Amino acid sequence: MRVLPLYVVLGGWLSMPALAADADEWMSRLAKTEHTQSYSGIFVYERNGAFSSHAVWQGVDGDVVRERMLQLDGPASEVVRVNGELKCLSTELAGQFSGGKAWHEQSFDTHALSEWYEFRVIGDSRVAGREAVALAILPRDQHRYGFELHLDRETALPLKSLLLSERGQLLERFQFAHLDTGDVSDSDLTPSMACATVAPSTQLDQQLETNWRSDWLPAGFRLTKADVRPSPASDESVSWLAYSDGLASFSVFIEPLKGEVVEDARSQMGPTVAVSKRITAAEGDVMVTVVGEIPPGTAERVALSMRAGAAQAQR
Amino acid sequence: MSREALHESLSAVMDNEADELEIRRVLAASGEDEMRSTWSRYQVARAALHKELIDPRLDIAAAVSAAIADEAAPVVKAQRSPWRSMGRLAVAASVTVAVLAGVRLYNQNDLSGQQLAQQAPAPVISVPQASQAQGPAVLAGYSEGQSEAGDAQAAPAEGWHEQRLPSFVRQHAQQAAFSGGSDSALPFARAASMEER
Repeated sequence: MRVLPLYVVLGGWLSMPALAADADEWMSRLAKTEHTQSYSGIFVYERNGAFSSHAVWQGVDGDVVRERMLQLDGPASEVVRVNGELKCLSTELAGQFSGGKAWHEQSFDTHALSEWYEFRVIGDSRVAGREAVALAILPRDQHRYGFELHLDRETALPLKSLLLSERGQLLERFQFAHLDTGDVSDSDLTPSMACATVAPSTQLDQQLETNWRSDWLPAGFRLTKADVRPSPASDESVSWLAYSDGLASFSVFIEPLKGEVVEDARSQMGPTVAVSKRITAAEGDVMVTVVGEIPPGTAERVALSMRAGAAQAQR
Repeated sequence: MSREALHESLSAVMDNEADELEIRRVLAASGEDEMRSTWSRYQVARAALHKELIDPRLDIAAAVSAAIADEAAPVVKAQRSPWRSMGRLAVAASVTVAVLAGVRLYNQNDLSGQQLAQQAPAPVISVPQASQAQGPAVLAGYSEGQSEAGDAQAAPAEGWHEQRLPSFVRQHAQQAAFSGGSDSALPFARAASMEER
């Protein structure tokens, strides 16, 4: 009888790598299918205080991937991309978009991601009338959120994605209600009149214009973009740094206060946290605001770690 | 970290409405005497509001600390005497009692929690959200959403953030949605949901 528990332990131990390999394979299929599979569908997005429905079309013709997305309720936000590059944007969205791609193309790199996340198959499910496999994407530290991802068994397209806090609370839901995996017609991929054409970006080779850097970053996050922009509310210019670990991302905004007295602040909008911290610098106090889909404690630590200085922290 | 903000966080913790940051702040400051006395005062105020009797000097945390301190540090190679484990049981039991007492203290009244929260709103700024902005389309408004909009006070400090945060959030969301190389449906939906009209 004493041997029995040993078998159970050994069996569990032996089956674990098999499950993990299975999950890795699903993730690799997901990474591939996103650039090779034509599909159209309707999905819903929900976070606290917001619920919206959207239509999406993706047409793949040889090497050319064309995507069109349209919000179906409320403002008709629309966007068309060809091979990842923005072609048109409806006026609702046009406000602050900077143009230009990120410096480091954030392609879906399963191998790199597995350093910061653990992938696990957790069962079968059914989404949008299709058979799906449910994966858990678990963070390996407390500086990022985990996901529950449901992939279509036939195509490995993501049918449902739940973002979960470290306490297992649901932060946002993305879920298809309908999915077709056939070819997509040209007319469906053609932008509507309301979608304003975006000029091809001319600033691909921009250099670091900001002299801010972070002393501390959660493992795996690296700088994807930095820029200096006019402040939305004053004559000051705001330094902007964007970071990503491949799945999660956050932005840091730094604005000089010029002697103004402003309190720290924080706010949580579903998955997105915003933490503002006052930092003392040589040229006077600045307000550092971290915005992103990361836990509040991590955002606060990043905000407090910002330093003025030329050397960029490379992690 | 200003005193006022800390006190507001403390009040939120008492009302069981604190977010994670607030709980961390309060825990970090819980060693300070001033913080403890403020906690006691809040408990008295809450009890008074509901005409309940409470002994304000009942400092459970101190009692638990004392009980733990009284326990002799475990000695290596010590003889396992039955009395020792009895003593440990007693400590464990006293902690349990303290925790139960604490739970009672917490749950005494939910109403007072809401009142206190209204008197001292936590410094949370609200960002205009698409779902609130579409006036005519929202037939059954969520009460949470409404009150959130009402909390948007015109205090100068909060005004500073409110002028900037929507723009920052939008910029972040659009960067994630339109500059990333892959799976843009989810970031796109996220960016669209941040839009105000």
